[in-house]
Amino acid sequence: MNPQPLLPLSALGIYFHGMFISLTFGLPVAIGVMLWKYWKTGDKDYYRAARVMTAVLSVNFALGAITGTLVEFGLVQIWPGVNLAIATFAFAPLALELIAFANEIAFLILFIVTLGRVRPPVSLAILALYALFAYYSGYLITTVNSWMQAPWGVGPVAKVLYPFMPEYGPNVVDVPKLVALKLAAVATGMPISLFVQKPGLSQEVGIVLKDPMVAFYSPYAVASAFHNILAAILIGMAVATAGWAYRYFKTGDAKYLKIVKPLAGVFAVLFVIQAPLVAHFMGEAVVEYNPTKFALMEGAATTYHDPLISLIAYGDPNKPIVGFDQFRQACMSHGNATVGDLVKKLGIPVTLNLAGQSVDLTPAAGVKLADLCLADLDRAMSYMPLIHTVYYIKVTFAIIGGLAAAVLFFYFYKVPGLSALAQLIAKIFGDERRRVFVLAVLLVLGTVLPAVFGWAVREVGRKPWTVYGLLYPSELMTPVPYATSPEFLAVAYIVILAVNLGGLYAMYIVATREYKFLELLKKGAGA
Amino acid sequence: MSESIFVGFVGLGLAVTLHVIFTAMTLGTGLIAAITRYSAYKNNDPWAEMLARKVFKVLIVSELFSGVWGTIITVFLAGFFTAITTLATNTLFVPISIAIASIMIRIPTIAISWYTWGKISPRTHSIIMFIMALSGFGVPFGFRAIFAEINYPYAVAYYLQSGQNPGWLAYENPLFWTLYLHTVAAVISTGGFVVASLMALENDAKAVRRGLWFGFGFLTAQLALGPLYWYSLRLYSPLLFRAVNHEYAPLFAIKLAAVAALLVLGYSALRQAKEGEVASYAKWLGPLALFTVALGEILNDGTRYPNLVLMGKQGLSVNLFANFYIDIPMPAVDVILAFLVLSIVVFTTAAYYALYKRFLAEVPTE
Repeated sequence: MNPQPLLPLSALGIYFHGMFISLTFGLPVAIGVMLWKYWKTGDKDYYRAARVMTAVLSVNFALGAITGTLVEFGLVQIWPGVNLAIATFAFAPLALELIAFANEIAFLILFIVTLGRVRPPVSLAILALYALFAYYSGYLITTVNSWMQAPWGVGPVAKVLYPFMPEYGPNVVDVPKLVALKLAAVATGMPISLFVQKPGLSQEVGIVLKDPMVAFYSPYAVASAFHNILAAILIGMAVATAGWAYRYFKTGDAKYLKIVKPLAGVFAVLFVIQAPLVAHFMGEAVVEYNPTKFALMEGAATTYHDPLISLIAYGDPNKPIVGFDQFRQACMSHGNATVGDLVKKLGIPVTLNLAGQSVDLTPAAGVKLADLCLADLDRAMSYMPLIHTVYYIKVTFAIIGGLAAAVLFFYFYKVPGLSALAQLIAKIFGDERRRVFVLAVLLVLGTVLPAVFGWAVREVGRKPWTVYGLLYPSELMTPVPYATSPEFLAVAYIVILAVNLGGLYAMYIVATREYKFLELLKKGAGA
Repeated sequence: MSESIFVGFVGLGLAVTLHVIFTAMTLGTGLIAAITRYSAYKNNDPWAEMLARKVFKVLIVSELFSGVWGTIITVFLAGFFTAITTLATNTLFVPISIAIASIMIRIPTIAISWYTWGKISPRTHSIIMFIMALSGFGVPFGFRAIFAEINYPYAVAYYLQSGQNPGWLAYENPLFWTLYLHTVAAVISTGGFVVASLMALENDAKAVRRGLWFGFGFLTAQLALGPLYWYSLRLYSPLLFRAVNHEYAPLFAIKLAAVAALLVLGYSALRQAKEGEVASYAKWLGPLALFTVALGEILNDGTRYPNLVLMGKQGLSVNLFANFYIDIPMPAVDVILAFLVLSIVVFTTAAYYALYKRFLAEVPTE
């Protein structure tokens, strides 16, 4: 079956989830800043701002939760082969995620219910606990996603077929069992889920992963978690800042400017942590663990020299950017070795017995390892124009966002020399109302677009694999035929778009519209 | 059975029971809130408007937490019982898709209904409330198909025999419709009793009457639907039928006694409410209804132990579907269970302040 029709559907769900999660992560910071200012100054405008953003956060959280459910079910229903990963490498992160999710919701409800009824420091403490569990949830989910990017714990397994790949941490898997399952899928052309669903198979196969916590040890996961969570916080902060800047732009009311100022300040501080530090470590992880992705990003069809990129990527300006030509050479090192040779070497029987089903590996045995390796490189390289372009658009907008953050920061917070320069630049955009708004919009563009394009690079850049170097989408997809039928896809797109776009519109109404229809309710309350 | 698989089975049971308790409360109250809100709009009735808002508070506090337990079920299933999760997603694609689509509509419309109340026209608001209420019933319409299939594999049997995806066949499972209708009547009835309980705390006889109208009314429907489901189990799931009537007969007897108590007390409280009085025991009807729901779910799901799937007179052991691919780290599972208890404590605190101390504003101000 062809997984292509399902990939954009998954991507749509993930993007909507990412969008709402960004607000879920960023709005607590913005609300926290407002509550802090309210606590310190007693100014009610800050409290009102916190309340409005809390209402938006509530609707947004509901949308984040349902898109999370969609993504979760997308995994187990559209890509049921992933259940094998959920039962092994992802078991610990997903099980611990239950802690995060349940407490995240419980503390959010407590925060909503008690806001305005308890003192600001108490509200801040509850909000902080909510945010803590929300970020913990983000860390755990990113750990699972990172395992698919860099399958930590499989040691040299990927390198056996793709000699240009690194080793992914210690080898804590039963290699023959994993390879046998993969080969069963290859030999039969059946998705892995058709084996995993067999009653009794798990008992028969037994332990395939010796250390269920191994996904947590991945340096790729640590870098990704910091990078993704901080990016999401920045997006949420940028949207909040732009929302209040828009109100200032429309009304000219100084109370809105008063709200924008601390938000812009906190945003700039977080941006300084994200762009030069965390993003750098993320980049280093990609260079080390996703060689084809890095080559796609840098357009390295062939190996070339660029001292600046090499310095950033490798810390050595003299090192070449390794391209697909070198990967191909590495593939050729297999010589005439075949899948059958690998099967023999690992001691896997040619005929497998999987819970009563006999699987003959002979059809795959004659395939040359070099041919498999080269074919996958060709599939990866077909994404080069897209990934290279998208990556540099991402970098460009991140720079724009950084500059806008700096100008807005120095516009509000006086630093000799820099503030004068910021004033000078800001004046390009017109009067004060307009310049604050335009700069805030640039913050949004400078965070949202890098995230959108960055996620595309992260996800599409690891193709042709879903689990890098190990499994293809076709091996993980559902065997249900009408999952790819136009009717199902049409209904799925309509539901996803209607609910999410409707939700976004509702958030806009909640944020902007005053109460107009409360007479009946007030009468009912005896007013 | 290994310790981890046993913990997985118990954990799954706990999650299902808690999820069902919460959803029984929210599905019914959602429908009552939507109907009451619509009647407020049509009749320009301030009392009904306020009642709808008060009833809706139950949802705004509970629905997301209820959803958490749904997520917990999924993770327990996929993590501990990999084979059955994969088999279910591969065979029951249509019912699961219906459930997911319903969840996607239900949860945002709850948040939207609450936060746009008074900000958009009452007509539009009423429509959103009805979408919210009706989408809720789509969730069990999807997921109850799984429960019917593990009691009597009909669509799954077709799939395993033919290799063809059964599509909508799960809805031809003879256990599905009796289970679904039994569930629908139960949640509306429970919602009504919960409303009656909350309104009894406020000594509002008219609102207690409204709640009991749903609670008692749909409980009488259960007099037909309950035995019908029981009888269909006898025909199609003899192992479960036997377990309920023999090994777990005391539990079943307690459930029947609870239903009888609800009928008698509900009727009596309804008569008093019609006369403008609130019965002293009316506030306990909601908890009693929730207790009955929990017992019913335990009987329907837990009594299959040590089997997971029942095929006529044969049971398929949990072990056949369990995850033996890893040694499940039990300390991590213990930590998770401890933190889940913490979340229940925090949620209960929030619900107490929202519903009992009335921290959640009935008339929005900001």
